[in-house]
Amino acid sequence: MPVSNSFRSLLPVLLLLVLLALVPLLSPSNRFLSLAISAGINVIALYGLSVLFGQTGILSMGHAALVGIGAYTAAILARDFNIGFWLSIPLAGIMAAIVAALIGIPSLRVSGHHFVIMTFAFGQLLSIILTNGGDYTGAASGLDVQQPVSLFGLSIDVLTHYYLMVVFFVALSAIASWAIINSRYGRTLRAIRENEKLAASLGINVGRHKIGAFIVSGVFAGASGVLLAYFLRHISPSQFSSFPSIYLALMVMIGGARLLLGPLAGGILVAFLPELLNLDPVQSRILYGVCLIAVILLLPNGLIAGIIAGWHRIFDRRPAQPSEPAVEREGK
Amino acid sequence: MDILLQQILNGLSIASVITLIAVGVTLIFGLTGIINFAHGEFLMVGSIVTWLAVANGISFWLAIILAMIVVAVMGFALERGLFRFTLERPTNGFIVSLGLIIVLQHIVIFFWNANQKSVPRPLNTVWEIGGVRIASVRVMVIFVTAAVVAMTFVAITRSRYGRALRASVEDRDTAALMGIPVRRYITGVFVLGSALAGLGGGLLIALFPITPFTGGTMVMKGFAVALIGGLGNLTGAVVAGLILGIVEGLSAGYGFSEWTDAYSFGLMILVLLFRPNGLFGGTSGPKMA
Repeated sequence: MPVSNSFRSLLPVLLLLVLLALVPLLSPSNRFLSLAISAGINVIALYGLSVLFGQTGILSMGHAALVGIGAYTAAILARDFNIGFWLSIPLAGIMAAIVAALIGIPSLRVSGHHFVIMTFAFGQLLSIILTNGGDYTGAASGLDVQQPVSLFGLSIDVLTHYYLMVVFFVALSAIASWAIINSRYGRTLRAIRENEKLAASLGINVGRHKIGAFIVSGVFAGASGVLLAYFLRHISPSQFSSFPSIYLALMVMIGGARLLLGPLAGGILVAFLPELLNLDPVQSRILYGVCLIAVILLLPNGLIAGIIAGWHRIFDRRPAQPSEPAVEREGK
Repeated sequence: MDILLQQILNGLSIASVITLIAVGVTLIFGLTGIINFAHGEFLMVGSIVTWLAVANGISFWLAIILAMIVVAVMGFALERGLFRFTLERPTNGFIVSLGLIIVLQHIVIFFWNANQKSVPRPLNTVWEIGGVRIASVRVMVIFVTAAVVAMTFVAITRSRYGRALRASVEDRDTAALMGIPVRRYITGVFVLGSALAGLGGGLLIALFPITPFTGGTMVMKGFAVALIGGLGNLTGAVVAGLILGIVEGLSAGYGFSEWTDAYSFGLMILVLLFRPNGLFGGTSGPKMA
């Protein structure tokens, strides 16, 4: 991909984020802002998942566990070492990366479907460990995060400020994700996704790169965990078990894992769809599940890629480049 | 010692239900390569059907049979309606099953709320043998499972349908060339696996109260058992189920009960590390051209 062309994929994302950063000018309700903040926090984690799943073709069902590592790291650092928000972000990112490596090294020894189940099991194990961790992890009731967040003496605890900060971090992770996709490293990952054996025969260390991608996704997840902990001010093990991981996978697949716009669209759509259609949580979950099934069966590349393909078909007359469906790898 | 025996019995009765899931999971995976995570929800639906039937005055035994039939029909519909379209790409089948988990769970919550549900114990007798108290309901669960699994096993290893099934697992294309209607066998395996899950659900609610979220934990253990034994390997699943039951019973007996849920996952991770194909060797799914 030429450089000028590759920047075109980042542009719409940044444009959208600038528009989203202007939303507080319309004085939205607190409820809207809270929803938007949780959507944004999810999107940060989703960018990590899209590097792993979209680029490398590895599906992880333990992503929420890595978010949890970030959240608990932030909470414990704040409690025991009085370390605040800003230092927590890199530290939690590193911590989540270490845990991702610890999970990844044994799990990636086994192939495709076994790996998915392994990550699922690690996710469940983590929530069992957190629940049985006694006072250190606050057991089933979890931990409180009471430290205020401030930047240059300005308090960010106001919802609007926190929202703007989350938008900033989403932009940061979109740029990071874009940089990875368009780097040599990203090309290597895609080579592994397309044909593992061929990649290996070209001298690519497949195992090490897969673990690397898993670690990279962990950094995103860890950072999003810190934002989550400081936003909710209370975290508990059940938030990070394997069911939340299913929802993260669902969001990235509905949006489309390969395009830069995908995680953003998936996160926002899943957060605001129930609000738009006026559904209660149970109904909206049913709708998510149906959406996921429909997207996988009808638009395997995700909603955004489907819309783009449809757009090309209608307005371009020349057919959109046929691309491999995103979710068929590893099934060999 | 007495408590230990009792705990092992408890462990085995739960492991029976898990084995029923593992058998369904392993059969479906062996033939289609689809990891059906929604299998636990099939079990949960079986429990709900049993609960509804018993609440409406139907006897427990009839209710279990009803649960098997309802879940089998559901499995048939889902295979024909959804999984059929993912046979070429088993990973998509897996993702579809994730969607199904969420849909089935919340449909049940939508109609019958998320509270615990239980039925009166179908068997109340408690035998006391040499100081060991044995609840007959647990023995019943173990025996029913043993009988059903044995029947499945004989059918698969001895009958000509079983042979055709094994041939299809071995090589789908060649089996099809030999005149085996592989598509129909895939449907059949889904129906059989679903019926077993329905039975498991009925038996589970006789042991414990259940919630709409029970399926999630049970299917994870089912997969743990199937993987420990080797995915696609029926014998492996049964033996691994036995091992897990004893391990969980022992752990509860020696006072680590809060970690019980962790054992199956820990055991699975260990086994996969040293024997990625499971203790008894599994298939790695159907060979696709």
